[in-house]
Amino acid sequence: MSAGQVYYLSGLAILLGINLIAIWGLNLQFGLAGINNFAYIVFQAAGGYAAALFALKPARAYGGFETYVGGFSLPFPLPLIAAAVAGGLLAVPVGLIAIRRLRADYQAMALLVLSLIATGLANAQTGLVNGPTGLALIPQPLAGTLKLSPLGYNWFFLGLTALCCAGAWWVARGISRSPFGRLLRAVRESESAVAALGRSPDRLRMLVLITGGTLAGLSGGLLVEYVTAWGPSSWLYPETFLFFTALIVGGRGNLAGAALGAFLVPILIVEASRHLPAFGYPGLIDSLDWVAIGAVLLVFLWFRPNGLLPERKRVLGGPPGPAASPAPPSPLGRWRTGAR
Amino acid sequence: MTLLLTIVIFGVYSAALLAIGAVGFTLQFGVTNVLNLAFGSVITASIFAEYGLTRHSTNIWLAMAVGAASGALLSLFLGQVVIAAFIRRGATGFGIAMVTIALSLMIQFSLEAIQGPYIFAFAASSPSTMDIGGVILSTGQLTTIIVAVAAMAGVHLLLRATRLGLAMRATAADTSLTRGCGVSPARTRAVAWLVSGALCGLCGVLLGLGEGSFSATTGSDFFITVAAAAVLGGIGKPYGAMLGALIVGITSQAAAAVISPSYKTIAAWAILILVLLLRPQGILAEFASERELVA
Repeated sequence: MSAGQVYYLSGLAILLGINLIAIWGLNLQFGLAGINNFAYIVFQAAGGYAAALFALKPARAYGGFETYVGGFSLPFPLPLIAAAVAGGLLAVPVGLIAIRRLRADYQAMALLVLSLIATGLANAQTGLVNGPTGLALIPQPLAGTLKLSPLGYNWFFLGLTALCCAGAWWVARGISRSPFGRLLRAVRESESAVAALGRSPDRLRMLVLITGGTLAGLSGGLLVEYVTAWGPSSWLYPETFLFFTALIVGGRGNLAGAALGAFLVPILIVEASRHLPAFGYPGLIDSLDWVAIGAVLLVFLWFRPNGLLPERKRVLGGPPGPAASPAPPSPLGRWRTGAR
Repeated sequence: MTLLLTIVIFGVYSAALLAIGAVGFTLQFGVTNVLNLAFGSVITASIFAEYGLTRHSTNIWLAMAVGAASGALLSLFLGQVVIAAFIRRGATGFGIAMVTIALSLMIQFSLEAIQGPYIFAFAASSPSTMDIGGVILSTGQLTTIIVAVAAMAGVHLLLRATRLGLAMRATAADTSLTRGCGVSPARTRAVAWLVSGALCGLCGVLLGLGEGSFSATTGSDFFITVAAAAVLGGIGKPYGAMLGALIVGITSQAAAAVISPSYKTIAAWAILILVLLLRPQGILAEFASERELVA
C-alpha cells in the first residue's frame, strides 16, 4: 500500500470512530428510550462549536479574519471536555421543549423544527460563530507539541478517537445492561406501565437525552478538531437522518448493530461513491448519495425494519436466548405477515 | 404608519401563500392521519415539473394549472401507492414519518441532481406594480392573494356543500364510524391526497413566482413555515389553518421589518415551538389519541 492510501484509510478510520460515538449516543436516545430526536445533529454541532471556541485564540488574534464569541485558547483536552459538556447541557432546554405527551411523529416534527431554527440562528447571528461562513483554523490537539508528520499525526488522532470510542462503548454498554437501561426500554415499550411503577417517564427521557447529547457533543468535538473547520452547512438537518438510517440499517437498540450501521451507511455508501469515476458536475455524486440513503432507508423499513442485527429479546431470570420468544415489536410498526 | 401598512399588506401576501399550503397539509393530515414530511418535496417537485413541462411559460394561469396537476399526481402516488403499502404492511405513526422522510430525501436530492449548480429564474410576464397607500405591490403578489382567496372558497365549498366533503369531514372525525356508515375510506383518502397535492403545486408555482427563482430546497424550507401555520390553527382543521397562516404571515413580516430580514423564517418557526410550550393542552386533545392508520 502506498503512503497516500495508508493516510486515506487512517483518516477513514477516524471518521468511522467519530460516527460510532455519535450513533451510540443516538442509540441510547432512539434505540433504547424511543425518543425520535430529529434534532440530533444540533447536539453534535454544539459540541463542535464548543470545542472550536475553547481551542481558538480570541477573534482579534486572527486580524478580523472571522468573528465569534469566546476564543479561550485552552490546551488539550479541555476543548473536548467542553464539547461533551455542551452536548449534555443543550439537552436540558431541548428536553424541556420537546419532552411532552405528544404523538411520536409530532414530537419528531417539533425537534426537526428546532434543528432548523438552530441552523437559522447560526446563519443570522454572524457575530456568534462567524455566520454562514463558519469557523476555520481551529487548532488540532497537541499538534504544536508533537510536531508529527501528517501521517504520524493521523495515527495519534486515531488513537485518541479509539480512546473516546472505548469510553463511549463503556458508557453505552453499561447503560444498556443496567437497571436504568431496562427502565429506558420500558419507557419505549409502555410509558404508562413505567408511570404505574412509580417512575417518571419524563425524567428518564431527560436523563437519556443528556447522556446521548454528551456523546453527540464529544463526537462533534472530535470531528471539528480533526477537520479544523465547522460551519452551518456541516450540520444541516438531513445529516440527522444519516444517523437514523445507520441505526435502522444496523439494528436499533443493539450496540453491535449500531456499529455495523455506522460502518455501512456513513462510511461505505458515502465514501464508496467518492471512488466512482467522476461524472457530471461537481456535487452531483453528493446529491445521488442522499438519494441512495433515502432508498436504503425505504428498503430497510419495508424488508427489515429491525435492522441487520435486531435487538435481542431479554428474558427475566435467565440468559437472553434468541430462540426463547419472538422478536420484540419494532417502534417503527407492528409488522404483520401478509395482508389484512 | 407606512411601516405598519407594509407589515399588514406583505403579511397578507405571505399568509395567502401559506394558507394554500397549510390547508392542503392539514386537510390531508385530518383525513389520512399521516404526518407527511414529504410535503415540502412535493412543493419543489411541482415547480420543477411546471418549469420542465411548459419550458417556463409566461402564462401564469397555465403555470398554475400545470403545477397543481403535477403536484396532485405526485401526492396521489406517494399517498395511495407508497405510503398506503407501508401502512398495509403494519407501519405505525413514527414508521410512516420515517417513510415520508425517506421519500422526501429521495425527491429533494433527485431534484438537486437535476438542478445541478444552477438556480432557476422564475419570473412573471408582466412585472407591473400597484400602489396601496405608499406600499408597492406587484401584480404577481396581488394575483397570489386573489388565487388564495379563491382556493380557500373552493375548499370551503368542497367541505360544506358536497357529499364528498361531508365524507372527508366525517373520516377526519371518526374513521371507523364513517366506514360503518357505508362510506368508502379509500375514495375519501384518494381525494384528500389529490386536493392536498393540487394545493401543494399551486403553492409551489406562486412561491417560485414570488421569490423570482427556485432551487431544490425551496419547498422544504417553506414547508416548515406551512407546518407552523397548520399546527397553530390546530392540525387537521382547515379553517384553523387559514387563521394560523394569517398569524404566521403577519408575524414573520413584522419580524423581518422590525428585527432583520434574516429573522423572517426563524420567527415563523419559533411560533411552532411557542405553541408547543404555551398551549400543549390545546394541541394535546388532537394528538393524545392515536387514531388508527388504514389504507
